[in-house]
Amino acid sequence: MGPVELLHMSVFSQSFSPCGRFLAAGNNYGEIAVFSLSAALSPEASEGSQKPILNFTAHDGPVFTLLSTDTHLLSAGNGEISAWSWAELIKKTTKAAWTRKPSYETSLEIPEINAMIINPKDNSLIVGGGDNNIHIMDMETGIFKSVLKGHTDYIHCLCFKEREGEILSGGEDGAVRIWDSRTNRPVHCIEVFKYEECARPQFGKWISCLATDSDWMLCGGGPSLSLWHLRSMSPTSVFPLPGCQREAVFHQDLIMSVGEGPYVSHCLHGGTVKAQIPCTPSSLNTLALNLKNTEHRVMTVGGSSHQIDVFTNFSYRAFSLSF
Amino acid sequence: MSSDAVKKRKPKVIRNEAGTPETKRGRGEGDQDVRVYNEEVELEGRDPQQDYMLYKDTCAALANLMAEIQELKSGGAKVGSVEIEERRRQCGVHFITLKKLNRLAHMRLKKGRDQTHEAKQRVDVLHLQLQNLLYEVMHLQKEISKCLEFKSQHEEIELVSEEEFFQEAPAEISRPHVTRDDHHQLTLARLDWELEQRKRLAEQYKLSLARKEKIQKAIEQKREYLSSLQPGLQNIMQASLPVQEYLSMPFEQMQKQAEVARHLPPPLYVLLVQAAAYGQACDKTLSVNISGDVDEAKALSRPPEDSQDDESDSDAEEEQQNTKRRRATVGVQLDDKRKEMLRRHPLSLCLDLKCKDGSVLHLFFYYLMNLNILTVKTKVSTTTDLSGAISAGELLNSESLLNCLYASDHGKETPNPANRYQFDKVGITTFADYVSDLGHPYVWVQKLGGLQFSFDGTQSDLRGSSLSASHMERTMKLLRGRLQARLALHKQFSSLEHSIIPVSSECQHLFPAKVVSGLTRWTMMSYQEFTELSYVQHVLKAGLVSETDLFFMAVVERGTARLLTAVVVNPRYPEVMPLFSLSLHWKGERSGRTDDNLRAMESEVNVFRSELQGPRPGLQLLTNQIQRLCVCLDVYLETESQVCDGSEGPKEFPREKMCLRTARGPSRLKPFKFNHPQGFFSHR
Repeated sequence: MGPVELLHMSVFSQSFSPCGRFLAAGNNYGEIAVFSLSAALSPEASEGSQKPILNFTAHDGPVFTLLSTDTHLLSAGNGEISAWSWAELIKKTTKAAWTRKPSYETSLEIPEINAMIINPKDNSLIVGGGDNNIHIMDMETGIFKSVLKGHTDYIHCLCFKEREGEILSGGEDGAVRIWDSRTNRPVHCIEVFKYEECARPQFGKWISCLATDSDWMLCGGGPSLSLWHLRSMSPTSVFPLPGCQREAVFHQDLIMSVGEGPYVSHCLHGGTVKAQIPCTPSSLNTLALNLKNTEHRVMTVGGSSHQIDVFTNFSYRAFSLSF
Repeated sequence: MSSDAVKKRKPKVIRNEAGTPETKRGRGEGDQDVRVYNEEVELEGRDPQQDYMLYKDTCAALANLMAEIQELKSGGAKVGSVEIEERRRQCGVHFITLKKLNRLAHMRLKKGRDQTHEAKQRVDVLHLQLQNLLYEVMHLQKEISKCLEFKSQHEEIELVSEEEFFQEAPAEISRPHVTRDDHHQLTLARLDWELEQRKRLAEQYKLSLARKEKIQKAIEQKREYLSSLQPGLQNIMQASLPVQEYLSMPFEQMQKQAEVARHLPPPLYVLLVQAAAYGQACDKTLSVNISGDVDEAKALSRPPEDSQDDESDSDAEEEQQNTKRRRATVGVQLDDKRKEMLRRHPLSLCLDLKCKDGSVLHLFFYYLMNLNILTVKTKVSTTTDLSGAISAGELLNSESLLNCLYASDHGKETPNPANRYQFDKVGITTFADYVSDLGHPYVWVQKLGGLQFSFDGTQSDLRGSSLSASHMERTMKLLRGRLQARLALHKQFSSLEHSIIPVSSECQHLFPAKVVSGLTRWTMMSYQEFTELSYVQHVLKAGLVSETDLFFMAVVERGTARLLTAVVVNPRYPEVMPLFSLSLHWKGERSGRTDDNLRAMESEVNVFRSELQGPRPGLQLLTNQIQRLCVCLDVYLETESQVCDGSEGPKEFPREKMCLRTARGPSRLKPFKFNHPQGFFSHR
């Protein structure tokens, strides 16, 4: 990677290891880098500990999404999903445990995979991407058991509600669809751009981020980031953030979101923006919180830069890891 | 008082130094019966111990009497009563006793002191005598040792060993019957023999000198004879010239060059030999010539003794003149010293590199004698007249043409670290001021001349010719490549200034047939102007730009949209790709930092070298990059589906490019990759 390639690198996805001591990040060149958080956070950290311990090319398209199970790291490239054993990765072996491809109808251009989540109840992997459909794969057998069709444009983000067993999907067509995971049938469809409070026609109608917390749902993208009450299917608060948000999470009583603009926004449920913390990349694609490990409880964000900002205290940037 | 009364009763006593204790002496005065009393004599008779006991008793008696008086007084007796008076008298007597004892003690002390003093004096006298004797002894000892150490000069002469002496010397000198016993005689004899030998050898020396003179004369004669042959040979050479030309063997020319080459300084000589060898072996179009003043070069290498005789005469003359003229000022002196330090050797090399299209790169190599570095000046001559492309002004500028031939070889400072000290002496702060005059001291020039100024430990210990040879081929290739690249750029720039992007036929497949966006402006910028642009700060921060690069501003337009592009061209183009930074003015201002799609366009143009460089040697790189930029702008504008101000209306740019999908991935990037020959756009 020469300096010009580094200048044009974007980080699209992140995932923490099950033990919480390592961070894997995927970029637009199809590479995955594994960073050691314990080395970077230790008191004797130096410049070298902010570099990855392992950097390899996983796919030939950009790695838009990463997901960690208890033992494996799942990564998605152009139309394929690969699994890497975390134990092997820590030992710097880069051989994929398995690679599966969902069945696609068209073959002219291979669609990308933008989002992956796990349904813990029946141990299945739910992926959504460029072919407008949601594919569900059984983790044990590796067979793609069902396809959920309904979106008219490609899928940006997926979310899972554990209590009711429902899958939420947001897409480029501006619709948030809710599916029942047992029957695989659509339950609801919310067209966010049709609600005046949220809609921002000057940007567009796509939904690029989704998050749920019991009865609450966050969604944003072209329309403003808004908090919805799912029982009543109505927006309760709209957050006045200037850019389009790409990822949002609930954390304790705060909502943290990243998107266009070089900052992380902290918002309160009421609809106020509490703080905007500046970061190095000029726009952000991914935000990840390491809640599995109390020692390395950090938040990391990545976007249009080869650097990933690490926040040990969520109110300011501590340092940056670099590809 | 009562004590006075006591004193009156005692007869007067006169003390006397000598004699018996009591002497009655009759005196002339005679009215008093004086007793001469000699206490000294008495002193000898008394025992100090007894005196001491007497003293103690007296004190005790005194104390008793005092106590009795006290009792009586406290008993109420009158003052002046008989008992008190009696006791008082007795006290007085005791006091007198005490006084006498005190006197005796003092006298004893004085006597003791006197005796001690006398004894000391006697001891001193003896001591002095002892010291005198010791001193004399030492003196005599020194004299003896001096005599023993005396070396006579005769011991410095190296004499032959005794056995040899007895063997070689004739009998009248060696006189063995005498000398075997007497060492003194033996030494004398040996000295005589030495003298004899030396006389003999002196004779021999004179004879040898005479012989040598004779032989010298013979040699001179023979030399004259040889030199008389020279003109004859010259005539023969002259006569053979036409023959050489007819046979096209420039034998004489090469000889002449070799003759001149002998006066070249070593680095230039190495360069000449290596360049000529390379030219003969690999590259027939390369030619090397020597130019300059040969006589001056010969003058430099003349031995200094001849010039010294001349100098002493001329010095005498000059001194007389100088006293009339004022001395030059310090500044002028320093200037002269500087000029002397920066002096060039009178001979220089001219290397010509010819390219296929007829253009020639002339390189002039100079050697700075006192600094021990080589410098180079350049000139380009082309067959066609280069049209006046304004932005191409810097391309063939001889100052910067060879800049950074190898990475970071700027040629502004001298590569010889020893020069720093020399410069300090004459007050030169930077060599860069003199570079335009003297030529550029690039590191590769030093290497071609076999001069190695070690900076990095990775350099091998090649020296001289092997160093030069190892770098020759690569440097020549780079030089030729540089010239061709610059000439190609020159031609391309004149096209670009007329808003035509000259895409060669081999590269047409990279772009779709119809490209609507067009280049409307191509101008040159200075480094200062570049750093002031807001949308290039990320490139500056990443350290990818330096002052020696060339900066250009290109403007691509379509309809109401204007794309401003800042281009950084490294002097080592096309080895290093030019960097583009974009800023779009269309319904507001966006740059690669604010708009992810513009950033994708930047990466499309900056990163994919293998696609864009075209056929070797990659001289189409810049024009291909510009054409790709226009194509990407077309795609960007046509796929912009949302109308920014919210109103619905006809789109300014109708969709003409074939794209399968207009948005993909989390950042919703547009399809910038052109697929040939299908002719549609897809995502990377």
